[in-house]
Amino acid sequence: MPDIDEVIHQPVRLRIMAALCSLGPREQADFSYLKEKLALTDGNLGAHLRTLEAAGHVSVEKTFVDRRPKTYLAASTSGRKAFAAHVAALQQILNSSD
Amino acid sequence: MSSEITPHEAASALASIDDARLTMRRALRAHRGHFHLWIWGAAWIAMPLLVWQGGERAMRHFPWICLVGALLSAGVAWGQSRQVKIPINARFVCALLAVIAFGVLFPLVLGVRDARALFAYICLLAMQAYVVAGLWTDTYLLWLGLVVCGFILLGYFVFPEMFWPWMAACGGGSLILTGFYVRHFWR
Repeated sequence: MPDIDEVIHQPVRLRIMAALCSLGPREQADFSYLKEKLALTDGNLGAHLRTLEAAGHVSVEKTFVDRRPKTYLAASTSGRKAFAAHVAALQQILNSSD
Repeated sequence: MSSEITPHEAASALASIDDARLTMRRALRAHRGHFHLWIWGAAWIAMPLLVWQGGERAMRHFPWICLVGALLSAGVAWGQSRQVKIPINARFVCALLAVIAFGVLFPLVLGVRDARALFAYICLLAMQAYVVAGLWTDTYLLWLGLVVCGFILLGYFVFPEMFWPWMAACGGGSLILTGFYVRHFWR
């Protein structure tokens, strides 16, 4: 049976993971930058990030830049593996229908 | 759960993933260094053309051109670091700065006065930094550094009578063209 990850499969979280996995292994995206690129709201992105963080798929770093709070996001190593497995599972479902 | 996912839903999810990846990759292209290549390519075109038109006295403008280039580059880097943070290897940056600092001292000790030799030397020093950075980070900088080094040596030894325009076209031109390549095709 394909290895579908229920946490990742939610449509918004799927796009968040796809975007974060597009970054290099040591790169981190700013919260506002990701929000703008994925056309999400603060609340929507924040809520889904909490779910992904709780599952260990995303790491969240809160810091201050010029005395202003900044949040940087990255896909964790286990998150990248889970996302790759999820994509492979979707591909498998699609191929099995051919 | 997978039994509940139909092939149509899987196709839709994969399309959504591709769309998010494409959006992010387009955005990330702005972080691949092309702004820096354009800034320094323009500076590199301006410097030899100034000497070609105005004689060696025009070299006194070089530090100001480099200062403007450095300020613009720093501004671009600052703006980009607020969007995507890339960890900096401080030891590597210090090693690179040490290479450049010693490189600045060499012509002072050796007493190089010839404008052509000095400019070719400065350009080779910059390309040495590109090659080292390219080897370290596994990027296009290695090939750009090697190709431009070849152009510099060719201009200095083979075409000395057209050294200045050659340096503007092949040195600065290479940086600007690479900037377009990085902007549109890299990653």
